[in-house]
Amino acid sequence: MCLRLVPAIWSVLLLLPVPVWSQQPGMTRAFDLERRGDYAGAAAAYRAVLTNRPADVSALLGLERSLLPLNQGADILPAVRAALEAAPSSSAVYGVALRAWAATDQSDSVRATAERWARSAPTEEAPYREWGAAELGRQNRAGARAAYLRGRERLGRPDAMAAEMAQLSLSEGDYTVALREWLLAVRRLPGYRATAVATVSQAPPPARDHLLRLLSGETDLVSRRIEADLRAHWGDPLGAARTLAPALPADRVQAIAVLRSLLDQLKMLRGSEAKQAQGLVLEALAERSPEAQASRLRLEAAQAYTASGDRAGARRMLAGLTDDQAAPSSVASDAATTLVSVLISEGKLDQAAERLGQLQPKLSADEYDHLRRGLALGWMRSGDLVRADSAIAPDSSVEGLALSGRIRLYRGDVRGAVDLFKAAGPYAGDRSEATLRTAFLALLQPLERDSLPELGSALLQLERGDTADAIGKLERVAAHLPARQGGAELHLLAGRLSAASGKPADAERLLRAAAVKEAPVTAPAANLALADVLISARREAEAVQVLEHLILDYPQSALVPQARRKLDEARGAVPRT
Amino acid sequence: MKRREFVSRAGAGLASLYPARSWLGPWPTAAWLLIPMDDSQTDHLKAYGVAYRALKRGVKAEWFLNYRSGAFLLPSDAGTARDAALAGVMVEPVDDSQLVQIRGGLRNDNMDAVPLEKPPKVAVYAPPNAPPWDDAVTMALNYAGIEFEKVWDAEVLGQKLKTYDWLHLHHEDFTGQYSKFFLNYAGSAWLVEMVERNRAMARSLGLPSVPALKRAVAVAISDFVEKGGFLFAMCTATETLDLTLAADGNDIAASYADGDPMDPNATARMKWDRAFAFRNARLELSPTTPVYSDIDGHQVNSPERRQPLGSYTLFNFSAKIDPVATMLVQNHRQVIPDFYGLTTSFTRKTLKPGVTVLAEEPGASWVKYIHGERGQGTWTFFGGHDPEDPQHQIGDAPTDLSLHPHSPGYRLILNNVLFPAAKKKELKT
Repeated sequence: MCLRLVPAIWSVLLLLPVPVWSQQPGMTRAFDLERRGDYAGAAAAYRAVLTNRPADVSALLGLERSLLPLNQGADILPAVRAALEAAPSSSAVYGVALRAWAATDQSDSVRATAERWARSAPTEEAPYREWGAAELGRQNRAGARAAYLRGRERLGRPDAMAAEMAQLSLSEGDYTVALREWLLAVRRLPGYRATAVATVSQAPPPARDHLLRLLSGETDLVSRRIEADLRAHWGDPLGAARTLAPALPADRVQAIAVLRSLLDQLKMLRGSEAKQAQGLVLEALAERSPEAQASRLRLEAAQAYTASGDRAGARRMLAGLTDDQAAPSSVASDAATTLVSVLISEGKLDQAAERLGQLQPKLSADEYDHLRRGLALGWMRSGDLVRADSAIAPDSSVEGLALSGRIRLYRGDVRGAVDLFKAAGPYAGDRSEATLRTAFLALLQPLERDSLPELGSALLQLERGDTADAIGKLERVAAHLPARQGGAELHLLAGRLSAASGKPADAERLLRAAAVKEAPVTAPAANLALADVLISARREAEAVQVLEHLILDYPQSALVPQARRKLDEARGAVPRT
Repeated sequence: MKRREFVSRAGAGLASLYPARSWLGPWPTAAWLLIPMDDSQTDHLKAYGVAYRALKRGVKAEWFLNYRSGAFLLPSDAGTARDAALAGVMVEPVDDSQLVQIRGGLRNDNMDAVPLEKPPKVAVYAPPNAPPWDDAVTMALNYAGIEFEKVWDAEVLGQKLKTYDWLHLHHEDFTGQYSKFFLNYAGSAWLVEMVERNRAMARSLGLPSVPALKRAVAVAISDFVEKGGFLFAMCTATETLDLTLAADGNDIAASYADGDPMDPNATARMKWDRAFAFRNARLELSPTTPVYSDIDGHQVNSPERRQPLGSYTLFNFSAKIDPVATMLVQNHRQVIPDFYGLTTSFTRKTLKPGVTVLAEEPGASWVKYIHGERGQGTWTFFGGHDPEDPQHQIGDAPTDLSLHPHSPGYRLILNNVLFPAAKKKELKT
């Protein structure tokens, strides 16, 4: 009976899957030795397994791993030869064989092994890919390229191993060839697109125009998407959105996927162009989305356009959305809020007030107050201080107090403005508002006057954007004030405004009037601003004198480090910023 | 703590709370101004400029090696105090009794005082239109306010070098292969201009090719050192200068540079006795790989061979026996983060015997900063491009040294600038 069972046992054993073989005691011991770092012991154990089963891939790979840290990579060759004898069509064995020959620098054997493998698997890329990898392991890029090209020729596929060819070209700094190869690779396997964009986007700036021209010469969607992604990477978000728009596929679902992918990239960018590009993509998404989603997307597009300063785009998106009964209520409410902001920014204050009045029951108190303050600011900028005052009167928040302070100031009520600014505290509003308020306080506190209508008028002109008129008025007010009692501060402000308005001669005159010993608090800032004006006029030598005077005469000033920095710039000791 | 000691310490503490005092002007009782170079210094790099300009004004200074990380001592005068205040450099008044104490310490410890007498006349080898922000030494000199003149091939071959004490080379490729960027950056405007400028210079000097021109320049630089000049080279200038000198006319340039390919047996034909620092290097034969040889340990432009950046450690030398090496390593940091360049480091196996290693990466097969003598002169090689831009890439924004006023890497460069100012008789190595 026992004898009759033997063939059956062998047939069962031969049918067992490989992992069961590898769980046999020899392999377990070899793995254990390898895991413990006893590579010599592990190599011996793997060899023992291979003696009985020369084509055992797990043992062969284990032997390869163990010989590597022993720096005895070449010692695997006998085992490899035996494995090839036993399993002449095993891809895994061929892979090990190629690496072994490459490690021993036997290029003829590498080639012969690869060719033999290719003959046994005539439709596969693997032999050529592994051949190329083995050549790269020997730092032989030319050899790797030859292997890939031979594979292409044999397989009759010009796009075979395109990703490998692209990486090879990248390692040689040849972004043009790399991009051509990536196009082939992505057309065959779209999943490569992210890698293609990530690697090609590293191209140095001088090479980028050429790469974009190369892409624009192609007509398919793959090229357009890569071009759009690269433009977004290289700081041209609008170009990215405009590149993609005409190439979008007719299929709605596919087009949405393409647009979403670009939108994800654009959302990582900052700046008004990025916002506008987001608006364009969201608008395109809305056109292709079901109505329920479309209204939300149009609202997001309107918000993006508003943030970019594209009011026309924002209005286009909001048109109809606010009164759209089909739109979800939250979307309609958000749209109405955005529309009020857009109307205010366009100066259509009556319309904005009317809309806000209609909207009030639907808004939270905070949202309503925020919009009302925006409206008050709009009235203020239009010069209508009465309506501004009435719009803000019921608002007792710190932001409301700060705004009321500005209205008082523009009426010339210095004391009232200072009191309200102090009551508002340093944290009301956003950072720029807080900074403006602090600057106003610094300007007003030395004045020692309760009322200065001419100053209020000058600052209101400034608020309304009439800088030239404001400068003249400020200078006239300053002329009647002692330097220590606000005269120097007002000269400094007028000088800075003149400099910003491109009037360097006026700026210099005003800043010199501010940089006087009688106003030691103002003088360092005036000197610093004066140095800026002189440097801009390429009068570096004079700027150096002014800055040296600042550093040596006001050594305790907080502006000394900045003055040293400018001194370095004026002397050419550091790059200009 | 004794009362007297407490009062003394409290007084020192109060004084330290009032640092602006030290910038206000000369002190009636202080005969000297000490520029400390330890962590109390507010701008290490500009401190070298203050010392240099004092020398320019004819003031005699001293460099206190290993004392407060390489402090400078200057006579207390209004000019120095004003200059330090403008530069934002911390100076401390020192009277004669304090100075006696300091000198006592210098005598007893591994320290020394080296007189600085004459401001060195500095030349920087760079093309006439080279941007000022592409060379670490130019940046350091500009920032510190140390005067220099630019020289290029015509001046070097026209014997102008003998009018300078100190010559700096940066990333010039003395093999004449345009940093081996010729193929990878083909068409880039800056490369086209570089090629045209160099070819025009070769033609104007009657030389057949750019490699021939650069070889002639390398030989002139070697003569400059031989006759007593101080040479400081960084980045790829170090490696290519030695390769060109050792090639001795043997063709080591690719065909795009001189019309015919590199001699495949060039490695075997090198005459290393001509080189300053290196020997037995193996040349890179590929014309497209921006690597010259195995002198560089980091091989930054070879993806397969590229080594990661570590840190390098400065050696300690005996200030009294080895003042030159000690001067070159004065620093407030002993371990400094490494930085890449076309040539980042120097493999130990390619260093000639007798080369002084000033800084190394412990455990690595390369060193960072080396020094040696040739004839009556000396040379110093420092690997890497920009100590504060470790991964420097073409087109990167220029380094703004006002953001790195304590840069230990840049200090090493400036040590080299002031080293020729040291009185010769003090130099024992």
